[in-house]
Amino acid sequence: MRAVEPVSTGFLERAGVRLGYEVFGEGDPTILLLPTWTIIHSRFWKMQVPYLSRHFRVITYDGPGNGLSERSTDPDRYGAEEYARDAAAVLDACGVDRAVLVGLSLGGKYGIRFAWMFPEKILGLVMIGPSLDLGMSLPERQAVFDRLYEPAVADPQGWEKYNIAYWHTSYTDFTEFFFSQCFSEPHSTKPREDAVGWAADSGPEILETESLAPEPEPADREALAGLTCPVLVIHGTHDRIAAHAAGEEAARLTGGTLATLAGSGHIPNVRDPVKVNLLLRDFVGGLAS
Amino acid sequence: MRAAYPQIEGDVDRDGIGVHYEVFGEGEPTLFLVPPAPISHSRLWKGLIPHLSRHYRVVTVDGRGNGKSDRPTDLGAHAVDLNVEDLVAVLDATGTQTAVVVAHCHANWWAVSLAHTYPDRVDALIAIEPGVPYLGRPQPHWVETAPHWDEILEDPQGWELNNRHVYVTRHSDWIEWFFGQQLVEPHSTKQFEDVVGWALESTGEVLAAGEEGFDEGLPGRKAVEEICGSLRIPTLTIHGDLDVCQHVDRGREFARITGGELLVFEGSGHLTPAREPVKVNRAIRRFVDQIEGAPMPSHTWTRGLSRKRKALYLSSPIGLGHVRRDLAIAQELRGIEPDLEVDWLAQHPVTAVLESADETIHPASEWLASESGHIASEASGHDLHCFQALRRMDEILLANFMVFQEVVEEGSYDLVIGDEAWDVDYYWHENPELKRASNVWLTDFVGYLPMPDGGDHEAYLTADYNAEMIEHIARFPRIRDRAIFVGNPDDIYPEVFGPGLPKIRTWTEEHFDFSGYITGFTPPTPAQREEWRSELGYDLSEKVCVVTVGGSGVGRDLLEKVIDAYPKAKEMVPELRMVAVAGPRIEPESLPRHQGLEVRGYIDRLYRHLAICDLAVVQGGLTTTMELAAAQRPFLYFPLRNHFEQNFHVRHRLHQYGAGRYMDYHDTDPDQLAQAIADEVGREVHYREVETDGAERAARMIAELL
Repeated sequence: MRAVEPVSTGFLERAGVRLGYEVFGEGDPTILLLPTWTIIHSRFWKMQVPYLSRHFRVITYDGPGNGLSERSTDPDRYGAEEYARDAAAVLDACGVDRAVLVGLSLGGKYGIRFAWMFPEKILGLVMIGPSLDLGMSLPERQAVFDRLYEPAVADPQGWEKYNIAYWHTSYTDFTEFFFSQCFSEPHSTKPREDAVGWAADSGPEILETESLAPEPEPADREALAGLTCPVLVIHGTHDRIAAHAAGEEAARLTGGTLATLAGSGHIPNVRDPVKVNLLLRDFVGGLAS
Repeated sequence: MRAAYPQIEGDVDRDGIGVHYEVFGEGEPTLFLVPPAPISHSRLWKGLIPHLSRHYRVVTVDGRGNGKSDRPTDLGAHAVDLNVEDLVAVLDATGTQTAVVVAHCHANWWAVSLAHTYPDRVDALIAIEPGVPYLGRPQPHWVETAPHWDEILEDPQGWELNNRHVYVTRHSDWIEWFFGQQLVEPHSTKQFEDVVGWALESTGEVLAAGEEGFDEGLPGRKAVEEICGSLRIPTLTIHGDLDVCQHVDRGREFARITGGELLVFEGSGHLTPAREPVKVNRAIRRFVDQIEGAPMPSHTWTRGLSRKRKALYLSSPIGLGHVRRDLAIAQELRGIEPDLEVDWLAQHPVTAVLESADETIHPASEWLASESGHIASEASGHDLHCFQALRRMDEILLANFMVFQEVVEEGSYDLVIGDEAWDVDYYWHENPELKRASNVWLTDFVGYLPMPDGGDHEAYLTADYNAEMIEHIARFPRIRDRAIFVGNPDDIYPEVFGPGLPKIRTWTEEHFDFSGYITGFTPPTPAQREEWRSELGYDLSEKVCVVTVGGSGVGRDLLEKVIDAYPKAKEMVPELRMVAVAGPRIEPESLPRHQGLEVRGYIDRLYRHLAICDLAVVQGGLTTTMELAAAQRPFLYFPLRNHFEQNFHVRHRLHQYGAGRYMDYHDTDPDQLAQAIADEVGREVHYREVETDGAERAARMIAELL
């Protein structure tokens, strides 16, 4: 059972893809919890929805490729600008003019794009462990990006599994490895199991398609510097996917607040949900008045 | 001493009437604290100023008729609009374009009028026990006594004292009756003395004129409601539900009409800023930050299992004995728990000792108001009424608690260790929801005891303080996770806490663990003693008498008396060598001189001199006397007059060890003192051994909480 059920559920079609969304609670303002890399779907917000929806209206939805949404095979459909337009369409469908957007990892990139493209619709932006193109990738991650399309190596170890050819033969093994890196904190068995399960709803074909999505213009750094809304960056010091330094840079570029979570990994909203919930409530509460 | 002093103060001249203001701090926005007058003045805010001025700029005013303002007796000089114009004049004089106004009781009507007439000067209003006319309902005693205001009553009683002629002829009767009714909370003796004292700085005539001036020209109920309803500023109303001056319904109504926030304090009376200052401080801070939209500051949070074990250690700066034993305990704790990080929240002179021991001093320590400075300011001659000095330290303790609470909320401490950290112990019991870490309480005495000179009233006060402490611990046993008595059950003074209260010893044995005494050093062996003696330049044939009076200026009188006794003593004991230590606050040159007498300002590691001397002459403080007891040295000790701890607790403890010779400063003349020196110097003593494992025992008790 879920801790809280949506007050309404809906679908919309935009640019050829059917998208599913859910609405919880009815407070003010509205918080839109964005999708992240389509390897998982909107259940990764399960630790936020019950708490936040007691205080605010909360909307979640799935991007193309997972959860309630269609598994698009069009790489263009996975670009950050498309995600921003999807988010705007979901808000429209729910009759919401302005919202606080919260994004995890790639969701941070989508949030920046939304704020850039629809500044009148955003009250504030929260980025958790944002995965951005600021030239600040962790070295071991940069190495695997470079090998993404290479043939799989025999008996790959560690980050060598971050390889499309390997995904096609050993998807579950890859997701188990990947989420072991996302949840670098000890005693994370349940969060890893959850994420591996959600990843099974997507697949290697979708992730390959997504990998071909175009980069948005202007690049993240310039878009960040142009944002005018209040910003909160939450970033773990033990994030093995997106460098803490990049989160720090995002806060600096926007003049926003940096909440550093010492000892936390890439997905603190799942692993340190109480702290993240309280930070979100403080941030959104501060905007409301 | 106050906990905070203004950076700027001044007066505005309002048609010949001086109105005084003070400015504290320099943050944003400005908070303008407006007390009711002439019944009170700006000292009403003493519990709020130190905390608020660390975060915001604070301007206070003494309303006309009290404090440092003039005291007009003409009712025309107390009209509401004149009071409102005073506020504008202070805002102008302090260069304050806009402010958040904080007002108490009927000053809220001035504040409302200010916001109404000058909407661009007021950002928000914090209305505490607001006395805005007509709203809600009045207390019946105001309604009943109003018609008789001008009559000459025969033997008026109770609320009938609310009468012009009583005000003028029996001012203090009215004031004591009024505030006696307002302080409905038990254990409010200090707050009562404060508010009565402030009221009596004015006169009954001024007060009567103030009352009449306030009522003169009040608009009708409808107009008042319309004015309140027209305010377009955020409001926060704070109101005690047992307020017998302004009915709590008045606060409720004000909050409703202004569409603002209401905070009702259950069980509180009319004086929440004085009686619940922690909660009022925090409510103001939260409200102001919220309306200012203060951005969340960047910060780091460490996940639970990634945290190192951390303790926050508070070591009382009153006397240097605490820090010595606290360092010894900290060292033992690290022996048990090597990864333990210890931050010290401490002030001078404790910080000097900690720095030389390479300990980590929390940077917020610089915000602490000086406790040792206050105690020194309370001493006069060989006399320190330490119970009253502690009572009068209330605002300093509160200011320091507010600093502590911020530190503990931000610091992820596992443990707070408070060695006589009175502020933490008291205010965590008063505000138990603020406790954020396991808590260890250490003390070397339990129970306030009255000095005979203080009579019945002092006995009543000490019993009241003891009763409050006993009730605190009975009601909230979860606040002290460990209470450690630095000593043994036999050291406890054989008395009761007060009439109808338990025996101190019985109660303490039930509520404390006992570590034994903690000296913080190991006394020298006889062989070491000879070695030290020659190292320190003392000849074996000399009889060395060390005179020390501690680090404050309190000891000058004793020092002078011993110096007066020196020639006679030297005559009686030709091999006498006297070394008098003046300490950092007494100029050695300012003391009388004698051939052969050495007066020194400061001696490095004085404890070594004490440990090898043939006689010491000291005050009655626990640390030095117990050091001498541990080193098996003869000594004369002179408790400070009116110092209950030195006269009862320490003396009793020394008696347990059979150590030292008690002397009364006032009854001892220089000749008698010379005789005592001659009798005692070099005498072989056999005191009960002072335990040497106290620090280790205390550390083991504390480590169980880690």
